[in-house]
Amino acid sequence: MSDTTPEHGTTPPAVELRGIWKRFPGVIANHDVNLTVRAGTIHAIVGENGAGKSTLMNTLYGMHRPDEGTITIAGRQVTFRSPTDAIAAGIGMVHQHFMLADNLTVLENIVLGAEPTHGGRIDFAAAKRRIDELKDTYGIEIEVDQLTEHLGVGERQRVEILKVLYRGARILILDEPTAVLVPQEVTELFENVRRLVDEGVTVIFIDHKLDEVLEVSDDITVIRSGTTVATVTPDEVDARRLGELMVGSELPTPETTTSTVTDVVELSVSGVTARHAAAARHGAAGGTGGTAGSGGRPLLDDVSFEVRRGEIVGIAGVEGNGQLELVEAILGLQRIDAGSIHLAGDDITSLSVRKRRHAGIGYIPFDRQREGLLLTSPLWENMILGYDDAERYVRGPWIAAGKAKTVADAAIARFGVKTPSNAVPAFALSGGNQQKLIVAREMTANPSLLIAAHPTRGVDVGAQAAIWDELRAARAAGLAVLLISADLDELIGLSDSLLVMFRGAVTARLDPATATPTQLGMYMAGEVQSQEEVA
Amino acid sequence: MNVSERLGSLSTAQRTVATGCSLLLLISITRVWSGADDLTSAGTVGASLRLAVPIAMAGLGGIYAERSGVVNIALEGMLVLGTWFGAYAALEWGGWAGIAFGIVGGMLGALIHAVATITFKVDHIISGVAINIMAPGVTRFLTATVYDRPTETPTIPTANRTGTFTVPLVSSGLESIEHRHWFLVSDVAGVVRGLTTEVSWVALLAVVVLVGSWFVLWRTRFGLRLRSIGENPYAAESLGVSVVRMQYYGVLISGACAGLGGAFLATVQNSQYKEAQTGGRGFIGLATMIFGNWRPGGLAAGAGLFGFSQALPLRQGDLVGPLLLLVAMLLAVIAIRQGAAARWRQAIAAAVGSAVSAIVYAQVDELPKQFIQATPYVVTLVVLATASQKLRPPAAAGQIYRRGGAH
Repeated sequence: MSDTTPEHGTTPPAVELRGIWKRFPGVIANHDVNLTVRAGTIHAIVGENGAGKSTLMNTLYGMHRPDEGTITIAGRQVTFRSPTDAIAAGIGMVHQHFMLADNLTVLENIVLGAEPTHGGRIDFAAAKRRIDELKDTYGIEIEVDQLTEHLGVGERQRVEILKVLYRGARILILDEPTAVLVPQEVTELFENVRRLVDEGVTVIFIDHKLDEVLEVSDDITVIRSGTTVATVTPDEVDARRLGELMVGSELPTPETTTSTVTDVVELSVSGVTARHAAAARHGAAGGTGGTAGSGGRPLLDDVSFEVRRGEIVGIAGVEGNGQLELVEAILGLQRIDAGSIHLAGDDITSLSVRKRRHAGIGYIPFDRQREGLLLTSPLWENMILGYDDAERYVRGPWIAAGKAKTVADAAIARFGVKTPSNAVPAFALSGGNQQKLIVAREMTANPSLLIAAHPTRGVDVGAQAAIWDELRAARAAGLAVLLISADLDELIGLSDSLLVMFRGAVTARLDPATATPTQLGMYMAGEVQSQEEVA
Repeated sequence: MNVSERLGSLSTAQRTVATGCSLLLLISITRVWSGADDLTSAGTVGASLRLAVPIAMAGLGGIYAERSGVVNIALEGMLVLGTWFGAYAALEWGGWAGIAFGIVGGMLGALIHAVATITFKVDHIISGVAINIMAPGVTRFLTATVYDRPTETPTIPTANRTGTFTVPLVSSGLESIEHRHWFLVSDVAGVVRGLTTEVSWVALLAVVVLVGSWFVLWRTRFGLRLRSIGENPYAAESLGVSVVRMQYYGVLISGACAGLGGAFLATVQNSQYKEAQTGGRGFIGLATMIFGNWRPGGLAAGAGLFGFSQALPLRQGDLVGPLLLLVAMLLAVIAIRQGAAARWRQAIAAAVGSAVSAIVYAQVDELPKQFIQATPYVVTLVVLATASQKLRPPAAAGQIYRRGGAH
């Protein structure tokens, strides 16, 4: 099984999915999916956000059962009732959000649920021997006696991989493993993954960063709108062709038409530097804290740029390179140590968040469920959030429910939020409709500057097109937009000007008319740096 | 190379021994200085142990519950149930039946808490408050129904109480040394005698349970799974651990511990159930658990301190003064250690506490009675709060778990 490139026909495929359908109430998440993963290879599954990759992997991992279709593992047809069945069949999954207990040691996290015992107590010595074997075999480095809370993101991921290998997995599913990693950690991850494959493990990895996919995988399957559209090898395609396969010609493109950029500067950020993380709002609850700012490097390093009225400035960068801190600095959530921020000519550097919002900043937050919505509150209340003193929602000191509901209904209709009424709680909406509601709320306030962080992340194609249309229309009406996105096509297509952030600094300014995703990827990985305007 | 670095390199066991020795040294200095020889007499130590048991058991109950992710402020209520059921069964069938029924009583309270918080996902605090309000009402009703008085049971006859044990040679052999009042040597003898003379079997059981709990929580499969659930139930769930079942175990064991503490309070430390007998020991246990960093070792230290400072005012002669002197010195040591570790807030608080204790000791001749009654509570909380290092509660404690609720 340690054959890295098994000949076709000699070894049965590690995984074979035939005609998989999966429906959820109101949506068909997967239809007619066919996938063949050769044993001992790295097989990438690529597709846009919301294309159905995660649903498919959850099917394979037994998180739910497909409505139709068959799953065959190493030549044997199987039915998974739960992840336990999948684990028994040798499948292991590393979730995008790590599943680790911080106050336990690495060793405890690895053995949890599969503890070897000896006379009533856990045989930690035996467990360590087994983990040491795995570490040697697969070349994974980690100190197992330390507390998990001290680990960085890359190390956490290695713990997750060890956890899965410890349970005897021979097929490894990695769900967007590079999303939270800095480039150097990505390199380490890929070294580990290659070593795994050398030792006969089959790796399925889900991603939408095309350059990585081309670099590391043996086969690539493209998923679009819930179905598999092609399986290719990296030598047959380039990033551009792969991007076309992912997006598909019939889908809307984010391209803006004519330039509407004016000469009036709406937002001016000059020399902004921040060294200390804002209060532990992020990462405290989840396991992803601790990427940026470690090792004494500033979170934001002398960042300067301008956004004019009618202009969309896009910010590209691997997550954790200062985008979040920049947005929070502009909003007033992140303390800055140097530099100034001007909005429409006025210095807002020392204003409170509320005053800045009053001055005309609209914000589509990074995480709509954590920062953007009160999930258990009705939509009309969610419309008021952040604008609870706006004339359209209040009467004197009171919230005017009647007025608010009228405004909410109008916004729901205008932005095409699919909902039975303005009284349903926000959690009842799909991700795309939640996002449309947030866009509706922010646009209803007629901002002069809109900060849009991943405005179409995880939303379906229809909602994506609607949000893009809205951004384009607002831009034509003179809105200044700061766009942060992980979707390179969205960035290139919508932006009038592109900045790349790397380790807290703006490392490149590109003209979207000439930039390609490949080129952008190189800047994002920190391989090339230029301070000059390419245009 | 400074002291805190060297201390940091010691193992937990070594550190515990080192802390215990320095504490004994401090007490010995206090005894010689103030001339209050009863400070480390076998009688004082024995009383301290008796007073510490209910606190330790309540706190241990807290550890089991919170390590499994369920906040249990209902410990007070479970303690109350333990006292009544313990006293009732002791009167009916004898001492050990009292202990068993006390445990069952605590578990009944825990079952309500578990059903409310785990199955019906009620906020943990709300359920806890409800149980704390309900428990004294239930015991008052039961007392009035079973006996002719609503607020207390009859006295439990000696025949119906659990016995004590004395280790023969050790106890008598050390007696003469203790009475010489030598520096440190007699103190050690007094402590050893106190822990071997007329010690309740139930207190011994409590010590075994406390030590055993450390083993169970940190060395067994059950313990690892329980702790993992208090940290990240969704991680445990993804590895096939049944979160709901483990949380039920955690809360029920929690109730059993508190019930044991309650039964001890009513049938060993006292000889009847009385209304308001628990006097907030459940909450003190909870606070001791927090400052003991959710660990049995830290909890034992806190409970011991509480027992000791509560025992002193009960002894003959004026021991509150020496206690204040001891606290002043203890806090001074803590202030130096925290200062060396650059934890300024704790260092300053300890220094201020030390100064206040010293001034009161030097200036005030006779303390008001209310102050003496409050002393053990204040001392325990001030010492624990300033001595504690980085407290690390179970990350998921108090959160409502929903199966498959991870994103």
